[in-house]
Amino acid sequence: MENFLAFFTVFTHPELFALVALGTFAGVYVGAIPGLSVTMAVSILISFTFSWDVLPAIALMIGIYMGGVYGGSRTAILLNIPGAPSAIATALDGYPMAQRGQAGEAIGITTVMSFIGGFVGIAVLAAAAPFVSNFALSFQPRDYMLLAVLGLLLVGSLAGESLVKGIFCGALGLMLGTVGMDPLTFTQRFTFDLPLLQSGISFIAVMIGLFGVSEALSQLHHVDKTAVRQKISRIVPSLSTVRKHLPLSLQTSSLGVLIGALPGTGGDIAALMAYDHAKRVTRNPEREFGDGAIEGLVAPETANNAAVGGAFIPMMTLGIPGDAVTAIMIGALFIHGLNPGPMLMVEQPDMFWFIVGGLVLANCCMLLFGLTGIKLFVKIVEMPRAVLVPLIMLLSIVGAYAVNNSITDVYWMLGFGVFGYFLKLYGYPLGPIILGVILSRLLDDNWRRAILSERGSLEGFFMGILTSPLSLVLFLSVIFIFVSQTPPWKRWRKRREALRAKIDPAKPASEESV
Amino acid sequence: MAARRARRPGEAVFTALLLVASLFLLWSAYGISGFESLSSPGAVPMATTLAMVVTAAIVLFKTARAPAAEGEKLGRDVLPPAVAIFAVMLLAYAVLLEPLGFLPTSLLFLVLAIKLLSKGSWLHAGAISLLSLFLIYVLFRIVFTVLMPAGIVPEGEILSWIRNVTGVRF
Repeated sequence: MENFLAFFTVFTHPELFALVALGTFAGVYVGAIPGLSVTMAVSILISFTFSWDVLPAIALMIGIYMGGVYGGSRTAILLNIPGAPSAIATALDGYPMAQRGQAGEAIGITTVMSFIGGFVGIAVLAAAAPFVSNFALSFQPRDYMLLAVLGLLLVGSLAGESLVKGIFCGALGLMLGTVGMDPLTFTQRFTFDLPLLQSGISFIAVMIGLFGVSEALSQLHHVDKTAVRQKISRIVPSLSTVRKHLPLSLQTSSLGVLIGALPGTGGDIAALMAYDHAKRVTRNPEREFGDGAIEGLVAPETANNAAVGGAFIPMMTLGIPGDAVTAIMIGALFIHGLNPGPMLMVEQPDMFWFIVGGLVLANCCMLLFGLTGIKLFVKIVEMPRAVLVPLIMLLSIVGAYAVNNSITDVYWMLGFGVFGYFLKLYGYPLGPIILGVILSRLLDDNWRRAILSERGSLEGFFMGILTSPLSLVLFLSVIFIFVSQTPPWKRWRKRREALRAKIDPAKPASEESV
Repeated sequence: MAARRARRPGEAVFTALLLVASLFLLWSAYGISGFESLSSPGAVPMATTLAMVVTAAIVLFKTARAPAAEGEKLGRDVLPPAVAIFAVMLLAYAVLLEPLGFLPTSLLFLVLAIKLLSKGSWLHAGAISLLSLFLIYVLFRIVFTVLMPAGIVPEGEILSWIRNVTGVRF
């Protein structure tokens, strides 16, 4: 009960309350401005809040995360440019609505639905996380290792256009995470006898380079494009509209939490799957999907905000990130001396409840800021890229420098910025790299512990997996997910669906492979 | 799955470089502890670099077979002058940051960058840069208390002078 009181911390401390509100406000705009991503904002912020106490720093980041996931939908509706990957599905029906002059209505329903989705996610987090972490205390090193592999597999393939490129990036991230002195045996790894590599490559430098500078460099391709102004009408949706779509929103919220809670999959996949789900269950949409159906907004927006709460479950209980942003949040917690995982819930349960409280507040702020301030919003989003891009670059450099006051980190950051620019250009997903870096320690340590506990025998390791139900389930999941992403399996699925469509022509085969 | 992508200019060379780098890293990972044992410090690095080599080889194979993208040019679609110029400017910024200090370097960078991108006048670029730099400075130096190299500007003296004159503690 005492721990639960920590839930109210953000509400009773004006300073923390203000930081969550400020973060959410900033998040909505950061998420909305094309070219600024939540991942970028949180990465840069970590370095600036480095010297703060842990509570204010976390409060600010929670706000940015929650607001940012929602903010991406704004530009998806107004400009047909999703501000974040999780808003890709929102653009499909949001932009046609805006073109018909219903931009205000679209923004309104999106805001309310994000709020509902957000709450479902937080409720599930509050209810489920304590149980999951209790359960997680019985995890063996090999289970952690399998979980890390699972997380990598899910992101490496689902997010990108190519499975092989996703695996390459995941492996690259794992490799980068092992650079420096090995913490178990003090062996040098990938240091090439250079003193500057001995303490490893700064995680923040890699992150800011990949998500800040490389994004800014890519933006240079589109400096001349200007935003198209849309007329915005009434925003607050009618109660009857909300009530009408409540059943669907609850379904897609649950889907969102579930997908968000799977290690490695986040809001973007949740949104696409929810969109697909809405398309299948909506019998008579007022408009066709893709032509401005409200259901096409309800589904992805509830799901991606519900996924935020979901993504916190593996992050808080297992220390495994749900997506790129939670990967960065884990980094932030580490920096502030916290160790996300089952022990965090045992040793500092108040921290958990503080985060839940922060999320609730951020969700309410999001509703408030979403339904107001639209004029200011349009002005900020139209900020010319000629100013925005140099500012992102400047902040990236300052951010990389600020953590260790070291110019070496700035060089690393720039190196990864240019490298990331080329990777992006040639279709490599960047998210798996950061996941790899975060999961590297977990994977490396637990693999070696697991093998050592079997006295170095691989047979013993596999026997251990076969005899423990939990390990077996995880192992089979890893195998299944890997196989289900290989081209032969996808071809087989397609053939089967085509066959089924032939037998039952009334039920069309779903064409979207997410 | 999307139809096979066309090969963009420079993609084959980039992939080949990735493969070479991965091979080098694999060799380096082997050097950590060889095939000593499955729990050796080199085990995971060897597995990951091996995965990099294999995947890079597959990507290279696919890229080499893909048709070249039509109408794309290296100097326009992959590495336009603006990107190259900015990469050099960022490097110059990093080099100048410590000797010159945060404020002058940033001002120089912002004025040049905004002038280059916006095609407006120098005055316009200068005014916007000064305003943004002021906001950034207030936010990060004073609110976030981030320490940046002072360089040639006696920042600390100026700040304490402002504190004395205004009597505001920040």
